[in-house]
Amino acid sequence: MGAPRKTKLLPYLLVAPTLLFVLVFTLLPLGEALVGSLFKQRLNIPKFQDPVFFGLGNFADLFGDPDFLQVLANTGLYVVLFVPLSLAAALGLALLVEEKLRGIAWFRLALFHPTVLPLVSAATVWMFFFTPEYGLWNQALHLLGYSGPQNWTGNPALALGSLVLVAFWKNVGFFMLFFLAGLQNLDRSALEAARLDGAGGFRMLRTIVLPLIRRQTVFVTSIAFIGAFQTVDHVFVLTQGGPSGSSSLLLFHLWQVRFERLNVGQGDAVTVLLVAVLLAFTVTNFFWGEHREK
Amino acid sequence: MKKLALLGSALLLSLTTAFAAPVEVSLAYPVAVDAPITALLKGWAQDFMAKNPDVKVTLVFAGGYPDVKTAVQTALQGGAKAPTLAVMLATDVYDLVNAKYVDNLDDLVAKAPGGAAFVKDFLPAYMGNSTYKGKLWSLPFQRSAVVLYYNADLLAESKIAPPKTWDELGKAAQALTVDGGKTRWGIEIPTENPYWTFQPLAIGGGKNVFTDDVTVNFNAPEVVDAVQFYNDLSKKYQGTPAGVQVAWGSSTQNFAAGKTAMIVHTTGSLAGILKTAKFKVGVSAVPGKKAGSWASVTGGGNLYLTAGHSAEERQAAFAFAQFLLDPSRVATFSAATGYIPNRTAATATPEYKAWLEKVPQAADAVKALASAGPELATQNVNGVRSLFNKYLQSAFNGAQSPKDALDAAQRDADKALADFK
Repeated sequence: MGAPRKTKLLPYLLVAPTLLFVLVFTLLPLGEALVGSLFKQRLNIPKFQDPVFFGLGNFADLFGDPDFLQVLANTGLYVVLFVPLSLAAALGLALLVEEKLRGIAWFRLALFHPTVLPLVSAATVWMFFFTPEYGLWNQALHLLGYSGPQNWTGNPALALGSLVLVAFWKNVGFFMLFFLAGLQNLDRSALEAARLDGAGGFRMLRTIVLPLIRRQTVFVTSIAFIGAFQTVDHVFVLTQGGPSGSSSLLLFHLWQVRFERLNVGQGDAVTVLLVAVLLAFTVTNFFWGEHREK
Repeated sequence: MKKLALLGSALLLSLTTAFAAPVEVSLAYPVAVDAPITALLKGWAQDFMAKNPDVKVTLVFAGGYPDVKTAVQTALQGGAKAPTLAVMLATDVYDLVNAKYVDNLDDLVAKAPGGAAFVKDFLPAYMGNSTYKGKLWSLPFQRSAVVLYYNADLLAESKIAPPKTWDELGKAAQALTVDGGKTRWGIEIPTENPYWTFQPLAIGGGKNVFTDDVTVNFNAPEVVDAVQFYNDLSKKYQGTPAGVQVAWGSSTQNFAAGKTAMIVHTTGSLAGILKTAKFKVGVSAVPGKKAGSWASVTGGGNLYLTAGHSAEERQAAFAFAQFLLDPSRVATFSAATGYIPNRTAATATPEYKAWLEKVPQAADAVKALASAGPELATQNVNGVRSLFNKYLQSAFNGAQSPKDALDAAQRDADKALADFK
């Protein structure tokens, strides 16, 4: 009697530590944020220090605030620029470094090394690259014939692009690693057969390689998307969300609302929105990938 | 028997005293300032513990002011103990008190030997942010002011006198700019987080940007005029980059490297600038609109006692604060950093006199304080400050006219402050 019962318990025991971790550090805080988002609580205003039921008031306030709408638009643009660009570059680089050439390990290392640098240090170095008069990027612009100094992080038209550029440099090597692992596990015979049938490089990529590395693509898309939505360190170091809010992103805004303005209810509402978007994307991406698999 | 019991009790008492756990005091300090402060603080903590063996001091070095504040907030809200003392922005006082993150100091001042005289000795310009609702909440610690740094050698070579008015400042910037700024700018004003470096322009124009904790003057004609002058520096005089300018750290590097002839920056950068600049550095308050109307603005961090500590911890923390703010230590701290001495008694110490002899610019930095207005400090300060920054940058970048931008800033700030009135 006892033996089968033990067998049934074992899987639960094995996942229990992870489950506990997810429960304590993800589900409980999320539940708390969900409840908190329905209350008005502002720690720096004595009359709103204790939570008062506010219904969907925090969400209404957020969507009625032009600054928040700008943050949403910035975040959307950041994701739309960062995810496809970095994925395409990572795949391209993975295809390049997959070749068995002399010294390829050094090349891979060079592409991967930005990933291991602490982001704040990296962003500080990039701040120097963006310096208006003598920064690297302005020197590049001068070579192209542009004469005036350009303040990359101080120009509303360039500040968000500067953040994308740093994130791109920082993450492409990391994403490349997953594509590389996928490429190295491909069935060589299928590729050889296609090559003998006369398929060109692009056709092979489109019809054989990409479908076969779909799982890696789904995974990398998910982490790129989630990472893009959670971008905050670059914003702190490079732009502080400026100028005039043109590079403020969702997580940075959340930090401002919760820790600078001490608006607990609204901070919880932003958290709920952030998690909802990420959850919707991850679930859709997963099911889309699984569906295509069938 | 009685004797034996007495002896036993005495022994027990002495053992308890000998092995009693020391009172723990921690100090959270934002280390991201350009000065060798960690070594100073560590040495002083050791000295304090040597004199007070019943107290154990731990120093917690955090990144910047926001990091210290976030650490205090998260500890208190998570039900943990926050660092006993924390150096946080003087202007955060209203939020910190309202949110009950910090503790009142009045009872400790009353109990401490010489407490009242100690508090009275701080410069009045720096005490403005220490009191709220008639109570004392913090002590000025590393206090600064915004000043104009100029390359005195370059001005002398170009036969330009240090500017005394807006017009002279604009003309000097124009004359000192070389090759449209590619080789050298006349002046740079870091405006990535502009409210603070902008305030001396507003004050020099005739009005500070706020009156009290619930009243801002963002769209006062004098403030609009000051934004117009900032824009004129690039448009009319072509002496500074157009729009939002360089980052805070880059401007001091540019100045020391001779890539800009003047900068508007904090006195806290004085030691760093003097160490790297290979020319004579001049320091003055920022010239005002009219002759004689100099301007500056206070800034920097205060020492707060955080909430939730026992009577012993509070007392030990206050004793450590008094120890750190002893006149000779204040003078030593100023000499190492450029932060303006925050106590009158510090200016009479040999350390201060030695500093002035070695660094005559320090006296000019202290002099600038006489024309300083208070830093923007309101209720909901982060909300108000970030919206002011947003509209200032909008006006600097030409996205809105100065008047339109500041009218919008006033409207939004009044809304952000409505719940506090």
